[in-house]
Amino acid sequence: MIHRFLSFLYKKELYLRMGMAGVLLCLSFFFDERIAFFLSLAAMLLVGLPIFWQALRRLWQRELLDETFLMSIAAVGAFAIGEYTEGVAVMLFYLIGEQFEHRAVRKSKKVIRQLMSIHPDTAMVERDGEVVELPSDEVVLGDIILLRAGERAPTDCIVLSGCASLDASALTGESLPVEVKEGDSLSGGMLCLDGFLRLECTCLCAESASARILKLVSEAQNKKSKQETFITKFAHIYTPVVVACALLLATVMPLVFRQSFAQWIHTALVFLVVSCPCALLISVPLSFFGGIGGAASVGILFKGGNAFEALARAKVAVFDKTGTITTGTLQVREICPVPPASEDTLLSIAASAENLSSHPLAKAILTFAQTQNTPLFEVQQFSEKAGKGLLAQKDGKPIAVGNSYLMAELGIGVPAHLASAQVLVAEDGILLGGIFLADTARPGIGDAISQMKGLGIEKTMMLSGDRAAIVSAMAQSVGIDECVGDLLPADKYERLEMLMASKKGVIYVGDGINDAPSLARADVGIAMGGIGSDAAIEAADVVLTDDMPDKLPRAIKIARRTVKIARQNIVFALSVKFAVMILSLWGGVSGVMWLAVFADVGVSVLAILNAMRCLSAKGL
Amino acid sequence: MKYKFSVEGLDCPNCAARLGRMLSAEEGIQSASVNFLTEEIIIESDLAIDVLTPAVKKVAKAFSKSLKVEKK
Repeated sequence: MIHRFLSFLYKKELYLRMGMAGVLLCLSFFFDERIAFFLSLAAMLLVGLPIFWQALRRLWQRELLDETFLMSIAAVGAFAIGEYTEGVAVMLFYLIGEQFEHRAVRKSKKVIRQLMSIHPDTAMVERDGEVVELPSDEVVLGDIILLRAGERAPTDCIVLSGCASLDASALTGESLPVEVKEGDSLSGGMLCLDGFLRLECTCLCAESASARILKLVSEAQNKKSKQETFITKFAHIYTPVVVACALLLATVMPLVFRQSFAQWIHTALVFLVVSCPCALLISVPLSFFGGIGGAASVGILFKGGNAFEALARAKVAVFDKTGTITTGTLQVREICPVPPASEDTLLSIAASAENLSSHPLAKAILTFAQTQNTPLFEVQQFSEKAGKGLLAQKDGKPIAVGNSYLMAELGIGVPAHLASAQVLVAEDGILLGGIFLADTARPGIGDAISQMKGLGIEKTMMLSGDRAAIVSAMAQSVGIDECVGDLLPADKYERLEMLMASKKGVIYVGDGINDAPSLARADVGIAMGGIGSDAAIEAADVVLTDDMPDKLPRAIKIARRTVKIARQNIVFALSVKFAVMILSLWGGVSGVMWLAVFADVGVSVLAILNAMRCLSAKGL
Repeated sequence: MKYKFSVEGLDCPNCAARLGRMLSAEEGIQSASVNFLTEEIIIESDLAIDVLTPAVKKVAKAFSKSLKVEKK
């Protein structure tokens, strides 16, 4: 019993000391000055001793401008000029503020850690016919993992049997569940909502998609924004300058104005109290820290504080076409038969031949044929000619399906209006017609672009290696103002540099490896659709974990709010501090010391609370 | 080589910066940065890890007895 009481006291000794000091401080108001002095002294020793001790240690380490040292001087100084209660107040409120500060910081760290805790520590694995629980990082390729409702997949897997709906929101921010069945693949970190799955591990835990997301986010913390760097530099100057001012005030002013030392020392002490830059040093990095965490929770990964600033001020958006504006999958646009051939025969022959090919064009034609219920037949002697098309035989007659190069090789003439068709079909040496295919715009991209314009993006531009006519049609249909086609990757880069010369802040949105140089060069590179292409992720400043275009305006909004909150904190903390300094120069303002303590720790707490708003990306 | 350590018990970002400076001043350590929010120390050093770890712990102990530093 006594032991427990003692350990309770030990744990809560700080609060106990603070409480007792508070009581003594209150009591001191009711007594005459001599008793008040002793009461205050007792209170001061109760709360102040550990701080004095720490200040001495810092002094020993030649850290003159340490917070504890400055606070100690202020408290002792107040005592020396007879302001006992103020001396105690400085110490007491400094301690209380620190507690709040620690609490707020701990809380936000915890929230961020929760956002990031998408990896389960253990997994149920079948080994030698038995099911054992293993640490996630001991799962090896080919292991059979059992996943029940309520559990998270430890790593990237493929479904062997069973079906389930999964919550992928930790990875993509998308709250709609994903349905998986036999043969589907899923990423580590996805949460099984219902059902039961037998999975085969296809990727080591440390290399899974979600592990890469986590790595990006944790590395992001070490890339400082300009505001953070500015604040660190500022703090280096601010504190010494304010302390120097305090020294001048205490020594020179009384001599110049022939006033009492006590009054000016009082002012100087106020300066010492507000000279601590902690409010700034905590709240500005915390804003970005929270911003990174909040954005990650909706599937937008910022790779550093600097990315927020660059994205917040950007005015120009440049898009890659294929895979960014478009889905990258082709669809049949138009079938142009050469009479007497009909559309149906054309499609039937093309689809039957392409049935054996794995080319993207073949897939598009087959899909289209299926929707049209076109009958397919078997072909013989199938052969593929890389980069040109394919040859086969139908009932002994040769058929050719391919581009204009293939037709030229076979000596088959192609009329001008069909020259640009991606697929031409010939039977027995006679051209039957051509099929035009085109990429389709990503659903929602038009909305996303008009939203971006609403957010003040002045210029939108699409750069593509595709033919100019297709590019401009696509740009028009999604609402992009300018476009350039027929570009080689090097040309894209050059165009981007020209745009950047205007210094307006250029966003480049791309997805593939060929976009990597542009993603790296632009003020902000945004890699879309993910965690697939390593080169793009490496080069980008912002990575969207899936390819939902609505994440683009959302990323801009998050960036702007984060930067705004950081700026609010800087302005708020500095203006309160300067206001208190000016007030104290006035002289005779009672209670200015209390204000000074508020300006130090109170402002810190408020700024931290403000910074924590960055953690939530909901509603943006 | 870059090494990562976890650090617990830092009071404020000022202290984190100061610990970083103290570590950087240590012989054999090219650079050290201490991140207050992630509670991480990143050290660039060509010391072997079994020499570096005790050196880092020694600095941390001299800085404040309540610090807990572990190799990550």
